[in-house]
Amino acid sequence: MKSLLTSMLPVGASIPHSQDEVEYSFAMEYHGPPVTYDLPRAVPIDIKRIPTATVVPPTSLSDKLSLPIAQPLIAPDPSSKNSKELTLGFDKIVSPTSVIAFHQRDRDGPDCGLSGEFSSSGTLAFSNGHDQSCELSVVVDGGSGALNLSNEHEGSQQLSGGIGISRTLECFSSRIESHELSGSSGAQRASNDCKESLDFLNDIDQPDWGSTESMQSSRFLSSEVSSCKDEDFNNDPPCHAKRTSIVTFLDAESSDTIHGDFSPVEGQAIQEQRGPETRPKKGACYRCSKGNLFTDKETCIVCNKKYCSNCILRAMGSMPEGRKCVTCIGLPIDESKRESLGKCSRVLKWLLNELEIQQIMKAEKSCEVNQLQAELIYVNRQQLCPEELILLQSCPKPPKKLKPGKYWYDKVSGLWGKEGQKPCNIISPNLNVGGAIMPNASNGNTRVSINNREVTKAELWMLQLAGVQCAGNPNFWVDADGSYQEEGQKNIKGHIWGKSATKLVCAVLSLPVPSKATNPCREEKALVDRPVPDYLEQRTLQKLLLVGYSGSGTSTIFKQAKFLYKSVSFSEDERQDIKLIIQSNVYKYLGILLEGRERFEEESQVEMKKNQSVEQSSALGNASEHDEKTIYSIGPRLKAFSDWLLKVMVSGNLEAIFPAATREYAPLVEELWKDAAIQATYKRRTELQMLPVVASYFLERAVEISRMDYEPSDEDILYAEGITSSNGLACMDFSFPHSGHFESIDTADQHDSLLRYQLIRVPARGLGENCKWLEMFEDVRLVIFCVALSDYDQFCDDGNEVLMNKMLASRKLFEIIVTHPTFKQMEFLLILNKFDLLEEKIEQVPLTSCEWFHDFNPVRSYHHSNSNTRSNSINNNNPSLAQLAFYYIAVKFKRLFASLTGRKLYVSLVKGLESGTVDGSLRYAREILKWDEGRENLSINELSYYSTEASSFSS
Amino acid sequence: MSVAELKERHIAATATVNALRERLKQKRTLLLDTDGSSSCYSHFAGYARSQGRTPVSFGPTDLVCCRILQGHTGKVYSLDWTPEKNRIVSASQDGRLIVWNALTSQKTHAIKLPCAWVMTCAFSPNGQSVACGGLDSVCSIFNLNSPVDKDGNLPVSRMLSGHKGYVSSCQYVPDEDTHLITSSGDQTCVLWDVTTGQRLSVFGGEFPSGHTADVLSVSINGSNSKMFVSGSCDATARLWDTRIASRAVRTFHGHEGDVNTVKFFPDGQRFGTGSGDGTCRLFDMRTGHQLQVYHQQHAAADGEVPHVTSIAFSISGRLLFAAYSNNDCYVWDTLVAKVVLNLRSLQNSHEGRITCLGLSADGSALCTGSWDKNLKIWAFGGDRREI
Repeated sequence: MKSLLTSMLPVGASIPHSQDEVEYSFAMEYHGPPVTYDLPRAVPIDIKRIPTATVVPPTSLSDKLSLPIAQPLIAPDPSSKNSKELTLGFDKIVSPTSVIAFHQRDRDGPDCGLSGEFSSSGTLAFSNGHDQSCELSVVVDGGSGALNLSNEHEGSQQLSGGIGISRTLECFSSRIESHELSGSSGAQRASNDCKESLDFLNDIDQPDWGSTESMQSSRFLSSEVSSCKDEDFNNDPPCHAKRTSIVTFLDAESSDTIHGDFSPVEGQAIQEQRGPETRPKKGACYRCSKGNLFTDKETCIVCNKKYCSNCILRAMGSMPEGRKCVTCIGLPIDESKRESLGKCSRVLKWLLNELEIQQIMKAEKSCEVNQLQAELIYVNRQQLCPEELILLQSCPKPPKKLKPGKYWYDKVSGLWGKEGQKPCNIISPNLNVGGAIMPNASNGNTRVSINNREVTKAELWMLQLAGVQCAGNPNFWVDADGSYQEEGQKNIKGHIWGKSATKLVCAVLSLPVPSKATNPCREEKALVDRPVPDYLEQRTLQKLLLVGYSGSGTSTIFKQAKFLYKSVSFSEDERQDIKLIIQSNVYKYLGILLEGRERFEEESQVEMKKNQSVEQSSALGNASEHDEKTIYSIGPRLKAFSDWLLKVMVSGNLEAIFPAATREYAPLVEELWKDAAIQATYKRRTELQMLPVVASYFLERAVEISRMDYEPSDEDILYAEGITSSNGLACMDFSFPHSGHFESIDTADQHDSLLRYQLIRVPARGLGENCKWLEMFEDVRLVIFCVALSDYDQFCDDGNEVLMNKMLASRKLFEIIVTHPTFKQMEFLLILNKFDLLEEKIEQVPLTSCEWFHDFNPVRSYHHSNSNTRSNSINNNNPSLAQLAFYYIAVKFKRLFASLTGRKLYVSLVKGLESGTVDGSLRYAREILKWDEGRENLSINELSYYSTEASSFSS
Repeated sequence: MSVAELKERHIAATATVNALRERLKQKRTLLLDTDGSSSCYSHFAGYARSQGRTPVSFGPTDLVCCRILQGHTGKVYSLDWTPEKNRIVSASQDGRLIVWNALTSQKTHAIKLPCAWVMTCAFSPNGQSVACGGLDSVCSIFNLNSPVDKDGNLPVSRMLSGHKGYVSSCQYVPDEDTHLITSSGDQTCVLWDVTTGQRLSVFGGEFPSGHTADVLSVSINGSNSKMFVSGSCDATARLWDTRIASRAVRTFHGHEGDVNTVKFFPDGQRFGTGSGDGTCRLFDMRTGHQLQVYHQQHAAADGEVPHVTSIAFSISGRLLFAAYSNNDCYVWDTLVAKVVLNLRSLQNSHEGRITCLGLSADGSALCTGSWDKNLKIWAFGGDRREI
């Protein structure tokens, strides 16, 4: 009987000496209205009548959600819903569940008294059979509730039998079935590994997963764990421990979250919620209510709850923000704990390995929620904004131990102190934080002022001892280095902190002295290059996505941005790679020329034969082999080189032959390029579709480039293809340098300088209908879509071997991207690129050659500007044909965009090879983001002018 | 021969090829239709049911969330377990790889990636290094034991560059720390030598039997590491032998959408696929036949079929875990082709789409990564330690 009692006593209760002392409280009296249904009655367990295991009819398991746990009747209000669930539960009493507690029992051995007795069948099942694991069940007749028995055996050793007992029996044969499917190997492993795989199971069983000896990194000793293993599966929360009730029903709270009984995470949350109202006794763990003042514990940095070593990991989970309870994640920390941030306690060191602790402490120190909140800090009576706080904290000499509160800050001298108090610190001067200093900031009454602040007595003493004349209520201007002058005079009177005696006095009066003479230049630099904290970087980084159809010039824009905003645009290594790329490009262009040469040669030979045959028919004979030679023919040596190059190109490993090729073939390239045949072919380059426009830029310098000592210039890099790895994505972080003086005067720009931008260029390839990765860019702020204006008469293969106008292909891509769900609310900037090419081309090829632009019908003034002048400035009074075409195309895209999204499209004109236009365009992008932020939809941009202008000639 | 003539011929040839393709498809369905019922949804499940097989039953406590791994600040895209089963690497949109101790649910490494757009990650068989790949088209290897640089970041120990498209998936060859297979958006798979950083073989690409669209996933046969299977946007899965790079051993047709994920069956004789057409399929490696379709009718109002984002088999193969784009995560009984559980309906289920699934090597725990930025570890409660 004693062991039965043991099994029924709650956690922490001592075993009564005689039965009479035990207080039974099975249920509260029901006072509600009469119920219409039959009340199930609680019947004591008869140990002798434990039913035997039966095979579960699997068909009855269809309702997966029905709970195996017999629901209790809640005494105060037996709502019909609950009772329904209850009866349901009994209908489906055959649900397979686990006898979780018995794993533990296994290890505790057979000395478990009575509870051991009625669990023995289960224990046996586990230790004996793998194929048939019987589960013990105690069918509570009429099921008035899950009896929540917790055993206490020999003081601290408890057995968490609670839930397992109300289980049905089941023989589960699925494992056998699974063997059939998987073949023998899997099955073999399954049964052999049974013991090993206990780890995770045990985790569920006992929150502390002690007793998992096989675990590698866990430092729990199995013996420790058994002292505290019942919380999660004993439905009694720890706070109930003090109750004397022996059999407790599930209370209302836990029955609400009945699933939670088995899911540690939820159960934990419940306990957390209950935490405040049920404080454990002083010094005890908040979770398991055990331990005393001397037990090692870890404290939540938000709510100050303390947990013992067994409970920490359960209560704090994976600690994404450091040592916080799971429920406190996302809340700001207790300010008194700021000092201890990142300082690890003994308990954690004991529980976790070094790497894990490093990560936790790093997260604790660096995550955003744990940072000092800027709103709580006032400097010169002005609340700080986050950027100002960052400035303050990242300056070369930050205030020590900054806490929320009100401070004054003397921007000239760098003196820093609490409002109403003498200075306590000298920090970096000239930081743009807070408001202007008040004369009474330090609450002085000496009538002597330093930088407009009335100093305190202590400071006055210091000044006097430093030998400063303080007669006549002077106002001193004190600089950061301590040099001072009286107001209204220009000569520096001396240095306050110049003498060592002054420093001594300062120490006595606990006044600050400048730490050491710092070089202002260095400071200045540090201010610019200061590292931005990670979390802030995430927030201030504005992402710009640059996309476009292949050949639209996105890579040129990207390279331009690099030249514009990066101090070192390309490193030495990168330049080496670029050199190889350019060289192999030249070989490729040569290859295309040679291919063309062969074609031209053939054609002209055919032509000649024709002529010859005509001649022959008229003048009979005199055809000679020599005449076979055309201007496109080359010598045998070059022919061999040409054949080799073409062969390499066909096999597709042109890149592989570099840089060896340059060493060997540089002279040959020179010879080849100077050959008349090649030159003749080059003259007909417009007929070679494959040859890109930029090829001529490089081909004309082929000799120079193919040399070993060639170094690519910035212009070469700009022109070169394939540098911003067309294979993958390229991104660069940048911030706009202050251009011009007026901008730097603007104080609002102070915060802008913190704003950083990331230009992301993605390859056109794969940007299709079913693009798998576009959704990864949901966090970009602006999509810059690039279209080459010169594409209107170009054709490309759309993959189905049908030629498609490149402008239409661009439009198709534009439609896809604009309507992509990821970019639903995104702002778009359309860059119409290659305006310079358009200017060249439009006079020869009408814009209407693209069917989309069929109604381009510009009204042209009689004295229109000569289009050959290629004027850079857009002359609105007399727009050139190219400009008109630009307006027209811009309107076409704007209308398309509006019809797709109902929003406004921003358009910008760019000549990719001119850095100024790229810079202008990216600054325009910044403006868009700013407008977007302010939601000030000012239609001040010149483009609205364009659109009105343009609409006049677009039908 | 004039251009017009050539074009005509080309059109005719294309038509012939398409007609042949269609015939092939018909023939294939005919062959697959073993019981003559011509219903493609009753491959072996019908037989199994007729033999009185019943679905595995799942109680609500048989699969419980026992760990929540919090720490990513972006969507989780990929995860992988170490073979010794207690560590996990996960890749997220926040541009970090995190190595977790699955037992303590603590992070051991947080690796900031040079390119934040990571799509896949993998643990090496010895657990000493992790690999990841993404939109930068490079597969980067990090040695977890290398010292951190001054900013506290782990340096890249090896870059495997050569792909011409994004790296969609990577997996180490089992028991070989030096070999790794990646799949890429450039329609190829590549076998790499990690120590030298060289490509050992390229599968697909210029060879006619390769994939004709982005390859999205690879899975290496656990019992014969020379064989691996790849799934692609061309709606096929292809079986490759690492010794024969020139051609695919077999092409598996059947899916009507992108094959988003492939996973070998534990016995190595068949493999499962998950597709954009909302189905999972089981293919037999040797016969090339489709064994089973796992398809759940959805009562979606907009007719949108949820895609399968990731699949995993239980250690016995009896269960197939399949995550869908509508946040569902079904547990299929592979034998009778019935959904036995939806992870979404469980306590502590994810709040976002589950993007990756992985079973620990011993099969005792399932890890899921989700768009809700968390990873969760689910353990088999009760008497089944693994299934």
